[in-house]
Amino acid sequence: MSNEITIKIDGIEYKTQEGEYILNAARANDIFIPAICYLTRCSPTLACRICLVEADGKRVYACNAKAKDGMEIVTSTEEILEERRAIMEVYDVNHPLQCGVCDQSGECELQNYTLEMGVDSQSYMIPDTKRETINWSSVLHYDAALCIVCERCTTVCKDMIGDAAIKTGPRGGASLDKSMKETMPKDAYAMWNKLQKSVIVPSNGTDETNCSDCGECIAVCPVGALVSRDFVYTTNAWELKRIPATCAHCSSGCQIYYETKPTSIEDTTEKIYRVTNEWNYVSLCGAGRFGYDFENRVEGKNPEAFERAVEALKKADTIRFNSVITNEEALMLQTLKEKLGLKLVNPDAYAFQNFLREYGKPAGKLLYGSDFKEVMKTDFVVSVGAALRSDNPNARYAFNNIQKMNKGAGLYFHPVGDNLVPTFGKSVECVAHKPGLEEAALYLVLDLFADKERLPEEIVSYLDSFHSKGTKIIKEKVMEDVTETVVDKETGESKEVTKKVPRMVEKEIEVDQNALLDLLGADANFPETFEKMMKKKESFSMIIGEDLYFHPKSENLAKLVALIEKACDMKVAMIPPKTNSLGVALICDLDESAEGYTVGYNEAGDFRLDALGEGDLDMPAMNQQEGTLTTMNKRVTPTNAALEYHGYELNDLMRALKFGRHLTVDWTPLLASRKGYQEALFDELPNGYSNSGEEQRGYALKNPGKRASNAVPEKFDESIALEGEIAYRCNPQRQFNDFTDKAHQIFESFSLYASKSKAEALGERVEIDFDGETLICDVVADERMEGDIVKIPDFKSAKDIYTLFGRDRYKNVTIRKV
Amino acid sequence: MSLEQFKNRNVGTQAYKMIESEPTPPTGMGRFERVVKRTFKGELFVGLGVTMREMINALFKGEMHTIKYPMEKLPISPRYRAIHDMLRLLESGHYRCIGCGLCEKICISDCIRMDTRYDENQRKEVTEYTINFGRCIFCGYCAEVCPELAIVHGGRYETASEQRASFSLFEDMLTPIDALKQQKEFDGFGAVTPNADNAIKKTPLAY
Amino acid sequence: MEIVNVAVLPEVTSAGVIIKAIIILAIISAIAGFGTYLERKVLAFMQRRLGPMHVGPYGLLQIAADGIKLFTKEDIVPQNANKLIFKIAPTITAATAFIALAAVPVFPDFTIPEWIPLLGGVFVPSIAADINIGILFILGMMAAGLYGPLLAGMAQANKWGIIGSARTAIQFLSYEVVTGLSILAPIMLVGSLSLVDFNNYQSGGFGSWMMWQQPVAFILFLIAGFAETNRTPFDLLEHEAEIVSGYATEYSGMRWGMFFIGEYANMITVSVLAAVVFMGGYNDLGFVAGWLIVVLKIAFVFFLMLWVRASWPHIRPDQLMWLCWKVLMPIAVINVVITGFVMMV
Repeated sequence: MSNEITIKIDGIEYKTQEGEYILNAARANDIFIPAICYLTRCSPTLACRICLVEADGKRVYACNAKAKDGMEIVTSTEEILEERRAIMEVYDVNHPLQCGVCDQSGECELQNYTLEMGVDSQSYMIPDTKRETINWSSVLHYDAALCIVCERCTTVCKDMIGDAAIKTGPRGGASLDKSMKETMPKDAYAMWNKLQKSVIVPSNGTDETNCSDCGECIAVCPVGALVSRDFVYTTNAWELKRIPATCAHCSSGCQIYYETKPTSIEDTTEKIYRVTNEWNYVSLCGAGRFGYDFENRVEGKNPEAFERAVEALKKADTIRFNSVITNEEALMLQTLKEKLGLKLVNPDAYAFQNFLREYGKPAGKLLYGSDFKEVMKTDFVVSVGAALRSDNPNARYAFNNIQKMNKGAGLYFHPVGDNLVPTFGKSVECVAHKPGLEEAALYLVLDLFADKERLPEEIVSYLDSFHSKGTKIIKEKVMEDVTETVVDKETGESKEVTKKVPRMVEKEIEVDQNALLDLLGADANFPETFEKMMKKKESFSMIIGEDLYFHPKSENLAKLVALIEKACDMKVAMIPPKTNSLGVALICDLDESAEGYTVGYNEAGDFRLDALGEGDLDMPAMNQQEGTLTTMNKRVTPTNAALEYHGYELNDLMRALKFGRHLTVDWTPLLASRKGYQEALFDELPNGYSNSGEEQRGYALKNPGKRASNAVPEKFDESIALEGEIAYRCNPQRQFNDFTDKAHQIFESFSLYASKSKAEALGERVEIDFDGETLICDVVADERMEGDIVKIPDFKSAKDIYTLFGRDRYKNVTIRKV
Repeated sequence: MSLEQFKNRNVGTQAYKMIESEPTPPTGMGRFERVVKRTFKGELFVGLGVTMREMINALFKGEMHTIKYPMEKLPISPRYRAIHDMLRLLESGHYRCIGCGLCEKICISDCIRMDTRYDENQRKEVTEYTINFGRCIFCGYCAEVCPELAIVHGGRYETASEQRASFSLFEDMLTPIDALKQQKEFDGFGAVTPNADNAIKKTPLAY
Repeated sequence: MEIVNVAVLPEVTSAGVIIKAIIILAIISAIAGFGTYLERKVLAFMQRRLGPMHVGPYGLLQIAADGIKLFTKEDIVPQNANKLIFKIAPTITAATAFIALAAVPVFPDFTIPEWIPLLGGVFVPSIAADINIGILFILGMMAAGLYGPLLAGMAQANKWGIIGSARTAIQFLSYEVVTGLSILAPIMLVGSLSLVDFNNYQSGGFGSWMMWQQPVAFILFLIAGFAETNRTPFDLLEHEAEIVSGYATEYSGMRWGMFFIGEYANMITVSVLAAVVFMGGYNDLGFVAGWLIVVLKIAFVFFLMLWVRASWPHIRPDQLMWLCWKVLMPIAVINVVITGFVMMV
């Protein structure tokens, strides 16, 4: 990347990257510079001004000033300390003193910094303003009285999440006495001046936020102003036991902490009270933060059911499962397949596995070349086939973060209209093409970004065939000379003056017309817009979504993706459809369809092993077991048991069948038998982040290269584009699987989701006809959706949506009112 | 009595008196003389006098030391650390505990537990509070750390019971509402010191 | 109590003597028990305590409670003890103490009223055995009492017991000499061994008390009496701080109780002897009746024992012997000699 430089902090030399903020450079080298408002990965807010340091003799804000080679930085001088103390004093003005009842007490940055700066007396005062406590949404609880308006919540919401659902609003407090400006330190005064004028309000002007309820604002809040409604006043921070884990809802595999404590005095079983994260380095979604209580409470072991399960496995022909399992469990199932000759059926991972295989052939490697961490560093991102808002929160955060932090641009190809994505940045262009035309979209990407010399000739000529010369009438501004006679009033002389006057002229110009654009339904001004978007862009990335894996021509798409990666210098990252689809795809040899006696694991079957508590034999849920998950960032990350589980595990069944190990985690090193995995002991896998934000979790998958084939992608088939009433298999935000649904703070129902206008047209309840098979569900209007395509969720395995949709993600359906 | 003399742990400087003991005479005659001297000195009768005096004092001057314990009790120091009391606010009668959890945190034998919730008035409500007296060592840290002086040490030092649970719940420790008038302000461990007002700096207020 | 002329006394029948013996046994046992109560109370008061308070009014029934306790306690005989001697030993202590009391006048003579069946008309004498060598008999019996602790300590197969026995032997034997020698001088003066004669000798009022004529003998007798009855400061036989409980270590229940009763009976005997021999006996003193005055004298001597216990520390065995043989015995001998000379002159 950029060059390594040397800076001096407090007289000691450190190495850092050029262009790094001083604060981050210091943090990476374990040097403490106080900072309240700064969030790593987000833009500096400059609200708190406490990160004041002296760089080469000048006072600068460490979060905002970039390190230069040879810079000498002093983190604290007497003057700076005085300033910081004044800032903390100002923060403490009128801040309620009832720390005892504050949820943040014990982990409050205001408390910490007040102590750190040694504030033991108060010099400032101003009349207080009454600020009301308000619930912003089903999960957000805002106590304005506690708020110090550091704007971390608004920053993270805008720069990372992309909702921009909150902003600063007027407080209506008394204004500062102007004389203070002379008497108090100037940064403290400036900070106070701003603080006294603002509070945080929902940005839509109402009392309710219209957002994805991810709760990241709660996580970043340094004080107790933002707390989850479920958590408020239930416990103190220090009573909670933090268990590092990996979130089990989607394929992001975010690092989280389950925070547990006994349920109550009478009931001492541990309960998860909340989920927290290292918010400087990872951002959670609503499901990860609030969907934690999906544990399977089992009183004890049921030996009869266990015996029946062993028998069922012995006579089983097929095991049907989904991807909400650990790598270890996947390996156990694969072992069963090898030893007992069963079939393994997993619809989501099967499609992904095929896609990866087809991609791997021409690409010459096992896995996609990049990951979302890398994608986040680029400044031009293309997303194809992913419903960004719901498929994977981290893909969306990356897309958004590129726009905000890297002054980037984004191209979003997706048939379902979405009005949130365009708000991520000015340079975001959305193309709502017809379902089925993903091939065309990829060809367009090739056309736009590829280095033509690296493309096979047939592709170049195929692409050229779409281009034609056309004419276009544009309006152009022309400067004309206009001569007027002006009479000087004083002298009476008349004089001729020549002026330049702009005039709009219509002009016909010759342009290059791209038939692909028309086919995909791109905006007429796309070429010009694209030209602007491409300005000063250096690195490019592409996000590949689930639509492509379930596409009728997914093999061809896989080849195209491989070609794009090769010819366009694009960092390609794929979104695995479900939690551990990548792991399952790498570990298991999957079969297409089930036959004979079926054992279902969290899925329907003749005998059902179930972590939801509804099956014939109980299994532990993800927050009750140890193991590893393979995340979309191509990492194998450990997760730990947050809650007790008293029943049988899959490993117990394996032991009964004589294939088992002593512990489930004894399978972890055995993963090495599968490509990409390493022989690592579970207990030695780290799970955290370093001060510099480096991810130290588990290990990264190897991506072994192999000989690449020279398969050339086929031409695209325009005829498979769908018309008419189309259903799209897509979950609402915050819903991913049965476990998410089980959590009490996730309210999104199993319904048909449609844009506002479509929902009005459909009525309240509809019957959806999939070529004979029908599904009846309620209609929910999603304000963020546009267009006529409706979304049908697949998070309830009981509804068997994968069977209804078959191999596709888009399906022509008939919708009738009920 | 000031505490100064107790704080001076330098024994040598204090006004201790050494008792002079003469050496044993070396000769038999000398020892005999000593016995005779001691015998006729009448010291034995001094001893008899002391016990007689004490008996007279006890019987006729009311200086009996014995307290008939279960019926009579000695007053205990306010600093004594017996079974905890939870106090109420004198005006409203509402319990003082705000559920801040500091006692829970500071408890060195980890015997305090509390359940709290967000109540209808948007306040933190303590739904249950318990001290495990099987573990409590009566160190008094909870009373010292309590910001509201809600948990204090009471005078109930008779901690024998058929069940430990008899003491441990919130209601057991809370001042009964009808006994609110008798509730005394605690001046033992953790109470506000008499010169507290002088010791703190005032926060400037704009109103 | 009146001075009774022997000549006019009714015939002393064996029935009367037995009744008297039973009465003495009952009364002295009760008084011995009451003595423990008094001792506890007096010691408590002197330490500004209350003493027993809860059983009965002012703890008076404490004796009954203790009695019940002693009677109902398990009787334990150690495995390696000489069981026969172990069982007999307490009886010897109690028996000798009560036998000594046979020669002590207790209560006036009386005749059982005629209307009582069976025993009607029986004459009960004041002294169970009115022998003319009363003092000698009493001293003899008390000396025989040493067999109780001696045998008890040796029979119980316990090292503390053995030490206790050894101390019994040296202490009782040694102080028997002092007692005898100290009381010899008064005997020489009175010329009789009968307690009645002693009483009559001192009938001349306060000034005629023997203690004014024989102060040295009186003091020696008191000191020796303390040692004979195993009282502080000479309670070395069962000194808790050194030898657990000495000869009584292995005893429990009523067997231990018999040692206890014996000790208190001896205390009463010594008190009576002191009162009769040295302190004017049961003669009237001014307007105060003789029987009352003797009870008061006995009570005072008894109280003195308690008082001393409350006040003084006890001494070492070697000091005890030193005191006996090097101090008290020579003084006693000298006192006898001087008395003899005075009588000759």
